[in-house]
Amino acid sequence: GDSRSASKTSADLIAYKSVNDLPPPRDLMIQVDQRNEAVLLPIYGSMVPFHVATIRTVSSQADTNRNCYIRIIFNVPGTPFNPHDANTLKTQGSIYLKEVSFRSKDPRHISEAVQQIKALRRQVMARESERAERAT
Amino acid sequence: MTDGHLFNNISLGGRGGTNPGQLKIYSRGILWKKQGGGKAVEVDKSDILGVTWMKVPRTNQLGVRIKDGLYYKFTGFRDQDVASLTNFFQNTCGMTPEEKQLSVSGRNWGEVDLNGNMLTFLVGSKQAFEVSLADVSQTQMQGKNDVILEFHVDDTAGANEKDSLMEIAFHVPNSNTQFVGDENRP
Repeated sequence: GDSRSASKTSADLIAYKSVNDLPPPRDLMIQVDQRNEAVLLPIYGSMVPFHVATIRTVSSQADTNRNCYIRIIFNVPGTPFNPHDANTLKTQGSIYLKEVSFRSKDPRHISEAVQQIKALRRQVMARESERAERAT
Repeated sequence: MTDGHLFNNISLGGRGGTNPGQLKIYSRGILWKKQGGGKAVEVDKSDILGVTWMKVPRTNQLGVRIKDGLYYKFTGFRDQDVASLTNFFQNTCGMTPEEKQLSVSGRNWGEVDLNGNMLTFLVGSKQAFEVSLADVSQTQMQGKNDVILEFHVDDTAGANEKDSLMEIAFHVPNSNTQFVGDENRP
């Protein structure tokens, strides 16, 4: 277990507490911050963090022009096994970011990102379900 | 320098990422030139509708909203620049910059705010990200609850972005009452 967040439910997971906790700005490309369990996405010149627990699936695809695409689908209410479902009352009226897709010229970077996001997600989900089991 | 302020390392942000350049803020308005030439942005003082400050990782961002609906974002200001420019905007343009906050919680639920050309996704009343609707090539409804925005494929921006945003989708649950009955925009 991780004592840092041991008392929280998964819907309370947050990536960063303050603006200056974000990793130093580097290249504007998809990054995975293992320590803070966050995925950072380049949107309009800014790196926008999402906690890995908000992510439902991630996949990549290549086209014939050597372009590579990555698609990230987020958890929204009404989908099965959604960790936020218990909290839909709390977040009622909210609009959800459901999906983003990016194009990249670097297939290696994209496949690395997909693997990292999947691995981190598995790890966090396993920890959270273990915690939920212990709590019951 | 007698008139205004000059900054040598200010990035202009937008669809394709950020470009470093030089920014001059003086009595006639705002002038930004891309490092090494090329793109320039010139805003006349009388065209400025409002300015905002936002703390972003390691630095500060100035937002400038202008009359035709465009919104420029300049990044790279030190804390002391914020103080002196705030004074300058108050004294020269008669406007007080509004302070915005950046959300870094990593949540994917919040509110959508439309202002001019900008669509802002807010989490807990703080800004998570902004996109310009001027760059949206197509919007689609998927089912009753999902809105998809497709962005122009832009290879000309020449910015430093490695991964480019192509598509973004929002889920508007039935419990949301803000956008009932408008099928063209989220």
